[in-house]
Amino acid sequence: MQQKILEIKNLSKSYGETVALANFSLDLGKGEVLGLLGPNGAGKTTLISILSGTLRGFSGGVAFKGQDLFADRNLRNLIGIVPQEMAFYEELNAMENLMFWGGLYAIPEKELKKRAQELLTVVELGARAREPIKKFSGGMKRRLNIAIGLIHKPELLLLDEPTVGIDVQAKVSILDIIRDVGRQGTAVVFTTHQLAEVEQACSRIAIMDKGTILAQGTLAELIRIVGEKEIVEVSGEFSADAFSAIIRQSDGNGMEILSVADNQAHLAFADSQAIPAMMQHLFGHHLPISDLKIKSPNLEAVFLKMTGRSLRD
Amino acid sequence: MKKIWHIGRLDLKLMVRDKAFFFWILAFPLVFILIFGNLYQGSKTDAKASLTVLNQDTGKWGDYFIAKLKSPGIELSVVTTPPGEYFRMLVIPADFSQQIERKASQKLQFKKDSQADLKAGAMADTKIAQAIVKLLAELVMYGDRDLKDFFDSRSPYRDLVTVRSRLPEGTIAKVPSGFDHTIPGILVQFVMMMVLIYGGISVMEDRKKRVLARILYSSASYAELFGGKFLGRLLMGLLQSAILVGAGLLFFRLNLGNIWISALNILVFAAAMASLSIFVGSVLRREEVIVGVSVLAANMFAALGGCWWPIEIVPPAFRALGMVSPAWWAMDTFHQVIFFAKGLETVWPNFLALLAFAAVFTALALRFFKVSE
Ligand SMILES: Nc1ncnc2c1ncn2[C@@H]1O[C@H](COP(=O)(O)OP(=O)(O)OP(=O)(O)O)[C@@H](O)[C@H]1O
Ligand SMILES: [Mg+2]
Repeated sequence: MQQKILEIKNLSKSYGETVALANFSLDLGKGEVLGLLGPNGAGKTTLISILSGTLRGFSGGVAFKGQDLFADRNLRNLIGIVPQEMAFYEELNAMENLMFWGGLYAIPEKELKKRAQELLTVVELGARAREPIKKFSGGMKRRLNIAIGLIHKPELLLLDEPTVGIDVQAKVSILDIIRDVGRQGTAVVFTTHQLAEVEQACSRIAIMDKGTILAQGTLAELIRIVGEKEIVEVSGEFSADAFSAIIRQSDGNGMEILSVADNQAHLAFADSQAIPAMMQHLFGHHLPISDLKIKSPNLEAVFLKMTGRSLRD
Repeated sequence: MKKIWHIGRLDLKLMVRDKAFFFWILAFPLVFILIFGNLYQGSKTDAKASLTVLNQDTGKWGDYFIAKLKSPGIELSVVTTPPGEYFRMLVIPADFSQQIERKASQKLQFKKDSQADLKAGAMADTKIAQAIVKLLAELVMYGDRDLKDFFDSRSPYRDLVTVRSRLPEGTIAKVPSGFDHTIPGILVQFVMMMVLIYGGISVMEDRKKRVLARILYSSASYAELFGGKFLGRLLMGLLQSAILVGAGLLFFRLNLGNIWISALNILVFAAAMASLSIFVGSVLRREEVIVGVSVLAANMFAALGGCWWPIEIVPPAFRALGMVSPAWWAMDTFHQVIFFAKGLETVWPNFLALLAFAAVFTALALRFFKVSE
């Protein structure tokens, strides 16, 4: 077993009536890259805020390298945090930003400068180090945001939705950076609601919803949860209620309902032979279907099975 | 401490980087200084009262009396024939010496031109009265001896009497005016305005962009973050002050009286504004609102505090109302040290008042300062 760098035990946090985290527990080993997959409102940002030490009023505990994370402020020098927002000074250029943020840690100026230059190369901003940030694209800003979180060579890097709002190419580049950071030995947790991202960049995946972990493991381990099944995605102008009413009248035949929503539903079949009969049943009840897709088991199916809802909302 | 400096220094750097910075911090206040400096320029003729003495006396006592009139505050001209023009004229009659030696009463005529300045006139009146008192005192001391021998007897009492005249306590003898009034006034106004605007907006924006929260992700503590933000705004105020004092010394021969007290005054006032700006930036969420509130507050405090016109010329009730403005205390301190040559023994209550403002603003800032919405 790898040595644990982070152990989160039974974290709970509520905002009034809203439960943001409910007995959330998670372990992380050194050099692991964990993708934390959850839909909107799952509690991802709440978790990162607690780990960053800026959100109080929770119960449960967090150990970092075996020590209580909140007992010693200096432990924060070993953790890098990349918030969802572009939290830096747009009036400064990239180099100046790294010098300011790095200056908050007791790093000698000369070393800091060297480190900043290296990092700018890593995040592919080496040539733009002294340009006004106002001229940066969304992807460039995201990369600078990550570089700032890495300036003090943290042993653990936490990123909150590092790929939100940028184009595909920029996303690929950021996922590459995250993977490289992991290869250098830094443990990484990043949150996302993009399935493709965790499939690409993570050594381990955790699915969370409503403030708690529903499933975790490698991609292969998670897919085994769904099993050797065929996934059918049904789309059309129907309501969730109408779909449920019709499906209840069928004999099922080893079929599992993964999710039902207005206009879309997902079904899993252990026996692919059962699929045509089910389709006939749906058409027979005049369900307005516009599209049918048959897929092999993937993370999306796992997610649907675990949360009962789709990520795309 | 190092982190406080690191955080504070950046805010100053960002302010200096602003494109409009030199306009706001230098050009704009200079316009104010020129306008108000010339508006409240003291009239130079006030300083010395001119007094013409028409000496018709045939004996020695007339000259002796005139010698007693000489004083640095009086521009004395002695004539023997009636002049064509004068502001005020004292007439010493031909029998002045005779009457004195006879110990008889006599009348001195004092004529004033209708154009004559009242304040200068009051000065001349006082000097004449003083000369008369001095002369009478010497006559009394001399006693019953024959006055014909007065000038030969070298009376040991002569000139031993000095008369000191003082205006009643609290009377304003001199109204502060000119650039020595205007520059401190505009300095106080702009320290308020610039620190509140720049300092307030950046606290609000840093919170919105989550830059404040991100600073706390490091091992910097809440106290270091607050201290850094306070220091940054204090430095903004001191920079604004240094620029205006520099311009004042360079172009307007600014006199700050006791430089240490004036510097301390600027420091304490800027500290109060630094805290106020953190409070403003913490409770307000929009840039336009912060600018509006800052400009309004700074100008209201400036008007009440006597930054634009000397507070000494406004009615007492309004002057008392001004004490609600921190600017009032800073301006009063400036006036005391620049115009009335007063020291710490006089202005220490002003410092207490400014420190009290600073304490209240700091308490408010601490109460409302937050790192996220
Ligand atoms: N400051 C707050 N006050 C009240 N409720 C809050 C606050 N912050 C978050 N919540 C609620 O807590 C729950 C979890 O929110 P959180 O921001 O952690 O989710 P998230 O997974 O980051 O979502 P997203 O994908 O939208 O960023 C949500 O129901 C949210 O509405
Ligand atoms: Mg979030």
